[in-house]
Amino acid sequence: MNAVLIAQNTFREAIRDRVLAGMVVAGFVLLAFTQIAGPLAMGEGVRLTVDLGLSSITFLGLLVVLLVGTSLVAKEIERRTIFNLLSRPVPRSVYLLGKWAGLSASLWFVAGALGAALWAMLALLGHPGYAAAILEAVYLQGLELTLVTALAVLFSAISTPVLSALYTAGLFLAGQWCDDLREFALKAPGSLRTLLQVVADVLPNLPLFNMRTLAASGEVTSPAHLGLATAYALLYCGCVLALGAAALESRDFR
Amino acid sequence: MRVEGLSKVYRSNWSRKTTRGLDDLNLVVRRGEVFGYLGPNGAGKTTTLKILAGLLKPTHGRAWLLGTPIERIESRRSLGFLPEQPYFYDYLTGPEYLEFVARLSGLSGREGTRAARQWFGRVGLGERPRLVLRKYSKGMLQRLGLAAALVHAPQLVILDEPMSGLDPFGRRDVRDLILEQRERGVTVMFSSHILPDVELLCDRVAIVLNGRLERLATVGELVNGQAASIEVRVADCPVLELPAGWSGCFSLARRTGESVITLTDESRLQPLLALLVQQRVEVRAVTPQRGTLEELFMAAASDAAYRAPNARRTA
Repeated sequence: MNAVLIAQNTFREAIRDRVLAGMVVAGFVLLAFTQIAGPLAMGEGVRLTVDLGLSSITFLGLLVVLLVGTSLVAKEIERRTIFNLLSRPVPRSVYLLGKWAGLSASLWFVAGALGAALWAMLALLGHPGYAAAILEAVYLQGLELTLVTALAVLFSAISTPVLSALYTAGLFLAGQWCDDLREFALKAPGSLRTLLQVVADVLPNLPLFNMRTLAASGEVTSPAHLGLATAYALLYCGCVLALGAAALESRDFR
Repeated sequence: MRVEGLSKVYRSNWSRKTTRGLDDLNLVVRRGEVFGYLGPNGAGKTTTLKILAGLLKPTHGRAWLLGTPIERIESRRSLGFLPEQPYFYDYLTGPEYLEFVARLSGLSGREGTRAARQWFGRVGLGERPRLVLRKYSKGMLQRLGLAAALVHAPQLVILDEPMSGLDPFGRRDVRDLILEQRERGVTVMFSSHILPDVELLCDRVAIVLNGRLERLATVGELVNGQAASIEVRVADCPVLELPAGWSGCFSLARRTGESVITLTDESRLQPLLALLVQQRVEVRAVTPQRGTLEELFMAAASDAAYRAPNARRTA
């Protein structure tokens, strides 16, 4: 129950700080830009619109995570607002869970609003058949952002906002290339192969959530893929948040 | 509230240097009493209160709140805590914040809303319910912090410098609130630098210095142990002749329109009064003077500084 209250408050903070509104407006501007660039795509205007529209969701969502998520806990410690929460019957793990859930909900809100705008724009342009593909792609992007938020919250609980942003951005980029790393590991000799495989397994498998190319051609993925991605995201978030809670548990708030 | 052998050692992350914030503290605060926790800056007051509120982990020792060990989250269910210089979510309004923290402390949605409205008005903020906290003055934030500590009707209240940042009206309101809690049977422990308030409110007082408990007694026991004197106010008289042998046991101060004789030896009072009557000097008041808590506090601090001149203090 307390996790829900903290999540609601975190969501309210994001709304009132106008971060989300700013991102949604920026997303609408990017969507409008795809219509300017459309004629240059030589007949692939719709594909370009879907691809750029979905990419803007990931980009803006990542921006929210880096701007807000990486200072989510650190800011509360620095401003001492955390004193008023943790001196109540609120376990530190519940506090962390609430902060993560609140920011994740904010990101789902941004992704949902921009996904709906993308679908509405395509419908107005006479291509209403992309609804299922966009819905699935936005769902997977929401999962991806939720996972990256968990990483940001973990780093925020143990480090400064600047370092947290660097670590989170680094893991996001490395996670995008973890398939390449896995392929590279197969060609590497002996112990280096094992090491690279372990690193590739520990890094977040973000290509699992990338359905932009498929959605751009109006295709949908299998229910098994959606189920696997959902289970993977939840499990990964669970592990990361457990690490974050353990780190926060041992902290002194001076 | 019980504290047994509580110690806190701070370690620097970089140099691994250690600083002792609290040293083997033993303390019992009885149910329903108002307990003052005094000490100079860096004595270990805030460290103690933060350990009790679950914000710091003790290095050694144990503590119980209302019979529950502080390691257990349930120990904070009936605790109201006001940190020193409280900070809040500045995007919320006062009633929103109070409702939020009331619900975190276990009140239902309806109870939380009702308690938030009631306490928002009770601490004198009721006129501007839609003002966001970033526009609050320091005094308003302190009042809100007090309301947040009390909104869920706790059985134990720990207040770190509750009078800080308040004007005389605010201080009076806080005193009234603390007395009201005592009447409700709530245990109140608070730290303060404003010693007259402590003297006025507290059943017992602890003085902590350099992380160690220096004195623990009722206010009466502490101040009555101090050297007493008697102040005699008389109408101003140009010449006041006192016996030559009294020179070491009185002092004379002249103010506008009157003189004040301070006797340090009580046995000289009757002879002095007889002498004044004989010399036709108008006696206006005879007031026994007891030592103040402030004098006691300063004396204890000086003693401790003398005993441990190199003692390291921490915030």
